[in-house]
Amino acid sequence: MKGLFKPKPRTPIDIVRQTRDLLIYFDSSTESRDSKKEEKQMTELCKNIRELKSILYGNSESEPVTEACAQLTQEFFKEDTLRLLINCIPKLNLEARKDATQVVANLQRQPVQSKLIASDYLDKNMDLMDILIVGYENTDMALHYGAMLRECIRHQIVAKYVLNSPHMKNFFDYIQLPNFDIAADAAATFKELMTRHKSTVADFLSKNYEWFFADYNSKLLESSNYITRRLAVKLLGDMLLDRSNSAVMTRYVSSRENLRILMNLLRESSKSIQIEAFHVFKLFAANQNKPADIISIFVANKSKMLRLLDEFKIDKEDEQFEADKAQVMEEIAALEG
Amino acid sequence: MATNLAERVQYPLDSSSYKILDEIGAGNSAIVYKAICIPINSTPVAIKSIDLDRSRPDLDDVRREAKTLSLLSHPNILKAHCSFTVDRRLWVVMPFMAGGSLQSIISHSFQNGLTEQSIAVILKDTLNALSYLHGQGHLHRDIKSGNILVDSNGLVKLADFGVSASIYESNNSVGACSSYSSSSSNSSSSHIFTDFAGTPYWMAPEVIHSHNGYSFKADIWSFGITSLELAHGRPPLSHLPPSKSMMLNITKRFRFSDFDKYSYKGHGGGSNKFSKAFKDMVASCLNQDPTKRPSAEKLLKHPFFKNCKGPEFLVKNVLNGLPSVEKRYKEMKIMDPDSKCNDDGDDDEDSVVKQRRISGWNFNEDGLKLEPVFPKDLSRDDEVVKQVRFEEEKVIKEDDVVASSGTVMETNPNVNASDVVDHENVGGLLKNREATLGTLNVLKESLEQELGQVKFLINLIGGNGEEIHVDDSEEKMAPEISKLRIEVENERKKNLQLELQLENIKLHLISSAVSSPTS
Repeated sequence: MKGLFKPKPRTPIDIVRQTRDLLIYFDSSTESRDSKKEEKQMTELCKNIRELKSILYGNSESEPVTEACAQLTQEFFKEDTLRLLINCIPKLNLEARKDATQVVANLQRQPVQSKLIASDYLDKNMDLMDILIVGYENTDMALHYGAMLRECIRHQIVAKYVLNSPHMKNFFDYIQLPNFDIAADAAATFKELMTRHKSTVADFLSKNYEWFFADYNSKLLESSNYITRRLAVKLLGDMLLDRSNSAVMTRYVSSRENLRILMNLLRESSKSIQIEAFHVFKLFAANQNKPADIISIFVANKSKMLRLLDEFKIDKEDEQFEADKAQVMEEIAALEG
Repeated sequence: MATNLAERVQYPLDSSSYKILDEIGAGNSAIVYKAICIPINSTPVAIKSIDLDRSRPDLDDVRREAKTLSLLSHPNILKAHCSFTVDRRLWVVMPFMAGGSLQSIISHSFQNGLTEQSIAVILKDTLNALSYLHGQGHLHRDIKSGNILVDSNGLVKLADFGVSASIYESNNSVGACSSYSSSSSNSSSSHIFTDFAGTPYWMAPEVIHSHNGYSFKADIWSFGITSLELAHGRPPLSHLPPSKSMMLNITKRFRFSDFDKYSYKGHGGGSNKFSKAFKDMVASCLNQDPTKRPSAEKLLKHPFFKNCKGPEFLVKNVLNGLPSVEKRYKEMKIMDPDSKCNDDGDDDEDSVVKQRRISGWNFNEDGLKLEPVFPKDLSRDDEVVKQVRFEEEKVIKEDDVVASSGTVMETNPNVNASDVVDHENVGGLLKNREATLGTLNVLKESLEQELGQVKFLINLIGGNGEEIHVDDSEEKMAPEISKLRIEVENERKKNLQLELQLENIKLHLISSAVSSPTS
């Protein structure tokens, strides 16, 4: 086994331990320290993190070795190394930050005796998620913490924690941060949260329906920011069309206010938004138990809607779209006030 | 490194802080401007303005590009100061590269190529960038002279990460992350992509560990083509009209024969100006077997890059006397108003068709395979159609030049099955697919044989036999050679057309085979 690691006499366990010692050194007070020594220690720390990455991902000479990965992972989570590493990231240079992010990401998926021990660790250290989420407010940390966060919410318990945390509300703002790269990263995390663990999401949505969709509508679907509206309407479609969310969907398409918002999106000049809006709008029309006020909106706007839909063409042929459109038009045409 | 991040913060995130001066490049969905950043001492910047509504149905690509740009830090890579949205457009603010792209430099002042010394400087810096990029687990996937920029000090930077991919982008794939190649990589077999956007969500680990997709070595191939482009002023085979399926054919063909052609050219065309080291370096990049291509790291140690000059050399020998980027762009627009220039830091849908072919190759090979498997993946389809359409537009132009008949265009195989259906005889063909396919295959084979024989003859008479050859006999043979050359060209054209037809039918068969069980 060791032969595969050629020139490195240190075992994965050694490397984790040394990394941890160095992290503890940097985590403790920083006053009155020999700057030369500090620099040397930092170089050493960065080197160790890179070595961890190389064990987990393999390198040019070798593929990752399952046994080595398992040893590393076990040692890593035996103590509070992850917390130390997360706390230390702002002190690292850019390359080491990226390495550390990749190490943390990989560790989430490393099985030890066919168990994901990262999940157990996080279960007891959920407050780490708070640090990662708030990272979106720090321009320098956002992309690193964001990437780690996305990996952590692959664990269902972690996703559940985040969904039910007070931070959830902040995502509506993070998605619209002025820095595009950060906003887009937050949007990717948000999407992951809202789509990955079906039953958890369904549970969350049914319990938080009121505030969630009120915010979703006003902050995202009616945002002045084009990209926010576009992402939001697409994600809304993904959520509502998911079978596990059928109860939520039924509720959503019974609201007159929601219909109004979707109709506005359908009339946007952006083709991308129109198409995504249609995929949600069709659910209102297809609903076989339309409440009276929904029917009355459809009836009142019947001719306008039919004209709009009739003229609504997408650039390339799509049988499914045409079929959906025909069905929606049929539904609307058949409605009587 | 930390300074980079600090610097990033300084650039304002609102459009009113910038004053746009000139358009310096444009593509299908993006325009590049020269601008100044008013609050920061009116520093010149380049702003790439991407139309988000028109381009890329999948915003994940845009996110990936923005993220890649934010997290890379290397002197030979063009980074972004910041990016933000302005209504439907994404503004990516970057350092202004006064020299513009090498493609623009070549087409303006070095239409027959640059000198080997200049090429060495450019390629070395490009390799430094590639080596860093690959070490970071990124593939560039669009290496070409249009994406290599020079600043006023002769510093070379690799730009445009619009289609780059990372082996760490892992949201959708556990397998893709199973391994990592360090910067000293010389075996990249384990990092393979087979899709266009770099999210191989459907890939099993064993697929990733196979040689079927493409890897870092695909960048090395493009790097080789770029070398030829710098040396000759245009990439190889750029006289042929491109089209989706032809990309495939040409690349196949190219791999076998074009390097011969290249060296043949060097012999017969009196342009034997390139050193053995250079030829050897390029040849190693264009090895048909990706595993035999050197890594970027290893290429840097190639003798060709020994005693390489510095950036001042480029200032003196390439940039000196060159009109400004904006001026060149304007001139080009006047000369060729329809064409969209690929300049500073741009671009996705590129006007320089031949390059698209090279970068499209990987995509293509898989496109054929993947589409039937994922007929629902609309965004990808979209991508394909756009690309093909775009190239059709260009074909018309190229066609006049090549003076080949319109038949090439008519048989232009669009992946979009519906287009294929329009062919009048497809219906008939479909009735006995097997037979037709068989016939065409036989035809193709015989044509290939013929081609081989003619080529052999040419080589025998005038071609590769450098040692046996005396000058005056070459003169005597010249008419004979050119006659044969024309014959080969004709055969090639015929062959291509037939192959196109064959591809066409194959595509149709595949798509109908896929759709029939469901419909």
